Amino acid sequence: MNEVKFSEESLKRFEAIVSRYPKKEAAMLPVLYLAQEEFGYLSPEAIEYVAAKMEVPAARVYGVVTFYTMLNMKPIGRHHIQVCRTLPCALAGAERIAAAIKVKLRIGAGETTADGKFTLSEVECLASCGTAPMMQVNDDYYENLSAQSVGEILDRLK
Amino acid sequence: MEKILLRNVDAPDSNTIGAYRSRGGYRALEKVVSEMSPERLIDEIKASGLRGRGGAGFPTGMKWGFVPKDSPKPKYVVCNADESEPGTFKDRLLIEKDPHAIIEGTIIAAYAIQSHTAFIYIRGELSYGAKVLERAIEEAAAAGFLGKNIFGSGYDIDVILHRGAGAYICGEETGLLSSLEGGKGWPKVKPPFPATHGLFGCPTVVNNVETLASLPWIIEQGAARYAAIGTEKSKGTKLFSVSGHINKPGVYEVDMGYPFKKFLEEDCGGVPNGKKLKGVIPGGASMPVLRPDELDGITMDYESFQAAGTLLGSGGVIVMDESTCMVQAAWNISRFFAHESCGQCSPCREGCHWMEKIFRRVEHGEGKAGDLDLILSVSGNIMGNTICPFGDAAAMPAAAFIRKYRAEFDEHIARKKCTVSPI
Amino acid sequence: MDPVKIIIDGKEIATTKGKTVIQAAAEAGIAIPYYCYHPKLTIAGNCRMCLVEIEKMPKLQISCNTLVTEGMAVKTESPKVLEARRAVMEFLLINHPLDCPICDQAGECWLQDYYMEHDLSASRFDERKEHERKREIFGPYVVFDGERCIKCTRCVRFLQEVTHTDELTVVNRGDDSTIALFPGEILDNPLSVNVVDICPVGALTDRDFRFKVRVWYLRKTPSICPGCSTGCNISLESYQNRIARFKPRVNEAVNSHWLCDEGRYSFHALTEGERLTTPMIRQEGGLVTTDWDTALEAAIAGLGANGPLLGVLSGRNTNEEAFLFARLMKKISSQTALEVFYRERELTEVEKVLKSPDRSPNFRGARDMGVHANGGFDSLAGRLVAGNFRGAYIVGEDLIDLPGDGEKIQTALEKLSFLVVQDTRLTPTAKLAHVVLPATHFGEKEGTYTNRRGRVQKLNAAIVPPLGALQDWEIFSRLLARAGEKAAYATAAEIFLALAREIPAYGGLNYGKIGDQGFQLGNETQQP
Repeated sequence: MNEVKFSEESLKRFEAIVSRYPKKEAAMLPVLYLAQEEFGYLSPEAIEYVAAKMEVPAARVYGVVTFYTMLNMKPIGRHHIQVCRTLPCALAGAERIAAAIKVKLRIGAGETTADGKFTLSEVECLASCGTAPMMQVNDDYYENLSAQSVGEILDRLK
Repeated sequence: MEKILLRNVDAPDSNTIGAYRSRGGYRALEKVVSEMSPERLIDEIKASGLRGRGGAGFPTGMKWGFVPKDSPKPKYVVCNADESEPGTFKDRLLIEKDPHAIIEGTIIAAYAIQSHTAFIYIRGELSYGAKVLERAIEEAAAAGFLGKNIFGSGYDIDVILHRGAGAYICGEETGLLSSLEGGKGWPKVKPPFPATHGLFGCPTVVNNVETLASLPWIIEQGAARYAAIGTEKSKGTKLFSVSGHINKPGVYEVDMGYPFKKFLEEDCGGVPNGKKLKGVIPGGASMPVLRPDELDGITMDYESFQAAGTLLGSGGVIVMDESTCMVQAAWNISRFFAHESCGQCSPCREGCHWMEKIFRRVEHGEGKAGDLDLILSVSGNIMGNTICPFGDAAAMPAAAFIRKYRAEFDEHIARKKCTVSPI
Repeated sequence: MDPVKIIIDGKEIATTKGKTVIQAAAEAGIAIPYYCYHPKLTIAGNCRMCLVEIEKMPKLQISCNTLVTEGMAVKTESPKVLEARRAVMEFLLINHPLDCPICDQAGECWLQDYYMEHDLSASRFDERKEHERKREIFGPYVVFDGERCIKCTRCVRFLQEVTHTDELTVVNRGDDSTIALFPGEILDNPLSVNVVDICPVGALTDRDFRFKVRVWYLRKTPSICPGCSTGCNISLESYQNRIARFKPRVNEAVNSHWLCDEGRYSFHALTEGERLTTPMIRQEGGLVTTDWDTALEAAIAGLGANGPLLGVLSGRNTNEEAFLFARLMKKISSQTALEVFYRERELTEVEKVLKSPDRSPNFRGARDMGVHANGGFDSLAGRLVAGNFRGAYIVGEDLIDLPGDGEKIQTALEKLSFLVVQDTRLTPTAKLAHVVLPATHFGEKEGTYTNRRGRVQKLNAAIVPPLGALQDWEIFSRLLARAGEKAAYATAAEIFLALAREIPAYGGLNYGKIGDQGFQLGNETQQP
């Protein structure tokens, strides 16, 4: 029995999103973002629900979700720390920043702290090479990092 | 040097419509829809010599001209704001600081092909940029610059902001279209081409943010003025993103044809801390690296970089000093491409990861004598054999690093460790 | 269709506008290797194996997606093309598991075949191979091996475009890409095993066939599926005189490239179990074995003395057998009601892609031969139950097994004065008989079926019947002789020529004209 479904509010937002697009299926990503926001992550039940609302096969949505890095099929911490590791950031010392975070939070890349507060990921270029090294935490960019400043940023995050 | 693309970004509240209009914004659009036919507009942009600024450098006017005028299908314009090429952050600057230039340019492009629906596909990670653009679109709509019957011209245009979800391949035009259609970002086999069979199988033009943002100025000042800047085959100005071991990283607007070495040493302040330059990638991680001894005589334009065995690409300039281990640099880039390969076609899906594995082994001190020639061979086997240019983008830097720094790679293998200090 | 001339490897090829290079080449007998291309599915263009060199184009082009243009010059064996093929082979093999010794696909694997034909180079891959799920049950008949998979997406596209059931998708990215079902779903649509047929490697394999026999030991006999009256063309593949599997044969007029799961496995129910190997006759204590002369004499005498007669032929009997059966029964008695077994059932949308709503592959042919009563089979069954007959000759069907009517029919059969049953096994119906005659199944027959749409198609014998059993046509022929009929036949082919002379719709036909793709009769649609 699939208990996952949109709230009244989300249903309204769903309708608004879908009506913007010339073809319903094109609204797939914004609808998946909406579902991820509401349900926290995209479980198979959530994917099945979205597939039904979008009138496409569940397998197709499953393929889409697994393709994109920003769509999560598992729950992640409240603050998703994404440290860039691509060349310009690497040249600026990204590895030291990542190491500092790992030491401070006692987790490795791909892991979540036991209290569910932080998840750490090492990601590819975030178009912030001029202010390297840097990281993204949820929606926010933190640039020109140092081992010191990154600790302070993490301390400030609730 | 001419300030076209960066003319607004330093103004306070530059991303608001008030600031944009006070500096002449949306006058070009008004001129286009009130005084110009689509044909004349296309001719004007052809005459300007504007070439696509995403990385391919295809002449913009010509691309617009490929759209069949009498097609009964709806036509689409897509602004490619999926900036993900490592070393590139120029589109982000425009998105955050001059979104209206992008919107105005997008509508101009839409008018050229008589499209009534335009999409701005922005990479998912640029959340702030998306908010800025969304608000700018609302402002433009409220001012009547988009929507029904803009400027009373009878022309309708809708602009929809669409966020990606984390995939470099969605910056490839047909990968973007597959994603925008609601699927995985899988590039499409060509033919057919987007100009005739693009979004939802309809005629579509995909243009880069910087390309579109150039349009208002070209319309206002005229194609001839734009074409007067730059070189014979590279007209106008280009944004270069500069990062790495450089004193003044950031986004620079450069007249095409400007001397590259001078740019690095003077405008960008040269390599910091008295270190020597060891290598510079001129056009984003896909493009072959240049050694310091190769820089003489290179000017910042499409032809000169190509003649030097590399490409202008996205203009993402990554500077590496003598402390850089080129083996690590090469591995870092190969890891990027392995991570971003969409996985559809066999040479890229298998080849990118194979190269990454060999580079990793070499970097970790487990390299073998034949490894470098093997990478060169694999790179050659990927080039030209894939569905989309991603394969070439992965193959070129792998081969270039080895060719340009062979001795260092050989030593790294022989000594089983890095003989330069690691990044 | 506008004609277009192209040049392939220096040879001028006449083709038509709208064809791709790979199609034009194939039609001219030039084989360009490919994995992901399939003539019935959309173009994926992902394997890159069909790359060819085209004059005036700087890069190699995939021939599956290149439309022919007038004067196009194509090279399929140039050094660049051969190098690209070796490159693609290498890429496909680097992560491929060394499963050949345990993989069912060995011997019909396109990686193996193309390696031998286009590659033959040693491996240069010295890293750890990517690992994936192995032996994952996808459904009742299909098992998946993710390591063997080359991501050609034929399976995904088949399920999207032919069955429209969309069970499979590609998940993840890069070399983590793999084929998957939506969590919790299974692959069990009525045409599911076609994905095994179209998988070029051993990634999708048939659970029924798993580990049974190496394919190079299989004897492959072209024949027709006995499942229903669609008459899908099959390759009946056998080993040590037992049927190992069916594979579809291409026939664009009938089944295209496909076969349904039920038909594919129909041979199990139809051929397994203990065979009748001697005639039997009823005496005081019950059925006892006897010789053919005794049995046939008793049969002829009993039928002749116990009219009105009912004759039921199986839908799996051939035209040749039906022709003789009709003649025999009419010779024995003028009060004979004949019909071919025919029962309909509901089909789902997916089933309708291929199947017919019956289980009588040759009902139409049998009726063309005269095995037909007014009102059809159901009406005749009703008359049997109502006691209209005193004698019956039932061939190849266990009528007691009929859902719903079985009990009533059993009672009716028990009340008959004389019953002859001809079958391959001692079925419950046969146990009621006065004479039991051992016969053959479809895989042992040479003859023809006429499908629902009027296409006459050839069955070929793949299996040798057990000692003691006779071909149905042979039994009818001997009975006809005892009934006074002069004509004698040595082969099924002779019977066909005879029926072609007598049945106007079949006039002028012979096995040569039928060939291996069948012959379409001029079409008066028949009522079932």
